[in-house]
Amino acid sequence: MAMNQQRKGRGLSQTQAAAILLVPFLAVYGAFLVYPFFHGVWISLHDWNLLAVAFNPDAREFVGAENYIRTLWGRNIEWGPLASPVMQTVGVLGIGLAFFGFRAGRLSKATALALGIAGSLFVLLPGFHPGEDGRWYDRRFWPTVGNTITFVALAVPGVTITALILAAALDGETRAKAVLRTLFFLSQVLSVTVVTLIWQIMFSPRQGLIANLTEALGGSPIVWLTDQQFAMAAIVIATIWWSLGIAMILFLAGIQDISKDIYEAAAIDDATGVKAFWYITLPNLKRTITLVVVLQIILHFQVFGQSHLMTQGGPNDSTQVLVRYIYQTAFRDSELGKASAMAVFLFVIMGAFSLVQFIVGREEE
Amino acid sequence: MKHVLMGTALAAMAVTGAAAQEVSLGRFFGACEDAGTDTTTSTGEACIIQSIINAADAELDGITVNTLPTDWGNYYDQIVAAYAGGEPPDIHVMHRHRVPQFAGLGALAELSGDLEAAGIDVSDWAPAALDAVSHNGGIYGVPMDFHANLWHVNMEIMEAAGLVNDDGSPILPTSPAELLEHAAMVEDATGHDYLAADFAQFPIGVRLVLSLMWQQGENIFTEDGTATIDSEAARNAVTTITQLFDEGYADPQLNYADSQQAFLNGEAAVLVNGTWVVDFYAAEAANSDVALSDYHVADFPTLFDEGATWADSHMWAIPASLKRDDPETYAAALRVLAFINDHNIDWARTGHMAVRNSVLGSEAYAGLPHRDEYAGTAAIARDTPAAENYGAIQDVLNRELQAIWLTGKSIDDALSDAELEVQDLLDG
Repeated sequence: MAMNQQRKGRGLSQTQAAAILLVPFLAVYGAFLVYPFFHGVWISLHDWNLLAVAFNPDAREFVGAENYIRTLWGRNIEWGPLASPVMQTVGVLGIGLAFFGFRAGRLSKATALALGIAGSLFVLLPGFHPGEDGRWYDRRFWPTVGNTITFVALAVPGVTITALILAAALDGETRAKAVLRTLFFLSQVLSVTVVTLIWQIMFSPRQGLIANLTEALGGSPIVWLTDQQFAMAAIVIATIWWSLGIAMILFLAGIQDISKDIYEAAAIDDATGVKAFWYITLPNLKRTITLVVVLQIILHFQVFGQSHLMTQGGPNDSTQVLVRYIYQTAFRDSELGKASAMAVFLFVIMGAFSLVQFIVGREEE
Repeated sequence: MKHVLMGTALAAMAVTGAAAQEVSLGRFFGACEDAGTDTTTSTGEACIIQSIINAADAELDGITVNTLPTDWGNYYDQIVAAYAGGEPPDIHVMHRHRVPQFAGLGALAELSGDLEAAGIDVSDWAPAALDAVSHNGGIYGVPMDFHANLWHVNMEIMEAAGLVNDDGSPILPTSPAELLEHAAMVEDATGHDYLAADFAQFPIGVRLVLSLMWQQGENIFTEDGTATIDSEAARNAVTTITQLFDEGYADPQLNYADSQQAFLNGEAAVLVNGTWVVDFYAAEAANSDVALSDYHVADFPTLFDEGATWADSHMWAIPASLKRDDPETYAAALRVLAFINDHNIDWARTGHMAVRNSVLGSEAYAGLPHRDEYAGTAAIARDTPAAENYGAIQDVLNRELQAIWLTGKSIDDALSDAELEVQDLLDG
C-alpha cells in the first residue's frame, strides 16, 4: 500500500515529465522563432505596405508568389552556358574537383557532394541573364547577393586563417601569451557601432592611422571607404578584426584537446614547429575548422552593420549586402512583403549551409 | 511630525501631478550634451535645437520634454517603424519632402484648427513655409526653416586666383565653361582644388545635379509621374561637374566629413554644402588653429538660364493618433511646438532661413553673421518634386551618379539606368 502510494506520488512517466520540462522552451521557441518565421513567410505572399497596413489593416492584398517573382526574376530571362564565364568556370572547376577528389579518396562523400552542389549552382545561377529587351524586375537584388557572397568568401577564410595562426601562436602558458589572448579577444566584445567607428577613423584618408602610415612611407593615401576597389576590402578587414575572438577561442580549445603524446612522438621524428602544425595540429583540428567555417558562413551572410555604417552600401552599391537591402526595402520603402520574400531567400541559403554542417557532422560520427 | 510628513507628501503629489504631462520628442540633427537652456548663445544645429528643447522643458509649466535618440542615419526608418508599431513620438521633426508619404497615409495630425489657440500665428508664416506644411488643403506641421545649398567660399584662395570683385565679394562662374576657367585659375595660382563637396556618400551630388537641371528649366520627373532623367539637361548638369573631376580640380572621393575638412584646411576654394553650417564655419574661421580664415558665403551661382538651388524645410509634426486618443498630451505637444515657433530667430542662427515674416523682417535676423551674403537664396530655392517614395528615388540617383564619378560608368548608361529605376519607383 505504502509503495503504491509512493508510485502514485511520483505519478508521471518519463515521457510526461520530459514533456512538462520541455514546455517552457517550446513555448518560447514557438512564440519567438517558429511563429515569426511562418508569419514572415505569410507576409511575403502579400502586397504589404508597412505604414499603410499600420493605419488600415485591410490595406494588404494577397499576391501569391509575386514578391518572389519581382525580386528573383525578370522579363525575357534566358539561360546561357557562357553568360557569366568567370563564375561558371569556377563552378565547373568545383564540380570537377568534387568528382576527382571523391574518386581519388581525398574528399569524403558529404564534402564532395556539398562541393558538387555548390559548383552546380555556380554554373546554373549566373547563367541566367536578361535576353533582348529583357531586364531583371529588381536590378539590385542579384548584384546584392553577389556582394554578400563576395563578402562571405573573403571574410570567412580571413577570419579562419588568422584565428588559426593566432591560436597556434598563442597556445601556451606564459603570461605574455595569456595577455595577448585577452587582447585579441577584446575586440569581439565591442558592438558593431564601436567597431565601425574605430575603423572609419583608421581608414579616413585625412586623419586615419593607415593614411598617415602610407604618407610617412611616401605613398598617397587610399580613400578606402569610397573607392570601389577598396570599399569591400575595408569592411572585410574591419570584420576580421572584430570577429577573430570566438574563432580563436574555438581553435585554442581544439588545439588543447590534441594529445601532447602525438607532438612528443613527432618531435622524435624531427617534426616540430611549422611541420608539427601542418602534419599534426591541422589534421586533428579538422572538425573544429569545419565548425568554425560553417558558423562563420552563417554569421557573415547576415552582415549588416559594417556595410550600413561604414560605406552605406556604396560606392555604387559595391558593398550593398542582402540584410541591408532587406532593411531598406522594409523600413525605408515600407515594402514589407518584398522584404520578407528576400528574407525567406536568405533563410534558404543559411538553411542550406546548416544542412551541410549537419551532414558533415553526422558522417564523421 | 505626522502632519508635516503628510503635508509634504501631499504637496509632492500636487507638484508631480501637475508636472506629469510628458511629451516625447523625436529629432535628428545629432546629439548635444550640456546644451543648457540658454537659447541665445548655443552654436551648431544640434546644440541650438537642444537648448530650445531644454528651455521648453524648463519654462513650460506642467510639461516635461523627453528627447529621443538623435541619430541622423536611420531617423526615418525609426519613425516609420515607430508609426507601424503604433508608438510614434508625440512630436517629431521631419522634412517637407516627406509630407506626402506621411500625411498621405493619415499618419499626421491636421493642425489648422488648433494652432491659433496654442499661440501659433499662421499668418506670420512666409507663404512658402505655409506651403511646405500643407497637404491637400490641411496643415500638417509647424515649419521651422528653409534650408538650401550654398557656396561656402575661402576668400584667401579666391584672392590669390584673382577672383574677387571690388566690393570684396567672390567672382563666381556664370556658365559651365567659366566654372572650368575659374577652377584652372585657382589651380594655377594656389595648386588647390576649386570645389569640394560630398560626392561619395551623402546625396549632395544629387542636389547639385538637381539644381543644375532646374537651372535649365527641367526636372527629374514630371508631375504626372514620368521619369525624365535620361535627358540633355541631365547630361549637361552631370558634365558640368565631371569636367572638374576630369581636370583634377575636384576630388569625387571625399565624403561629408572629409570634404568639410578639406575646406577648413584651406585646400579648396569652394565647398558646396547647406545653410546649416554657416555659424559653424564662421566660428571655425575665427579660430586661429584652423587654416580657413577669410570665410564668405554665396548664393548658388547660376550656370545656366535661371537661378535655382536645392532646398527643403524642416518642420515639426504630431501623430494623428495623439490628437485622436490623448487630447491632454496633444495640447501639451502643441505648446511645445508654439515654443519652438517662438524661437525661430534662435534656430536661424545656424544659418538656416527663418519662416516667420516677423523674424525675416527683424534687425536681429539681418544682423546675423554672413546673412546678407546669401540674401538671394530664398528667391532661387527649389524643392525636390513631391513623391511618396522620394527617399528611394534619391538613393537611385545617388547610386548612379556615384557610379559615374567613382567607378567610371558612362554617363549615358547611368542616366538611362537611373531613369528606368526611378520610373519603377514612380509606378509603385
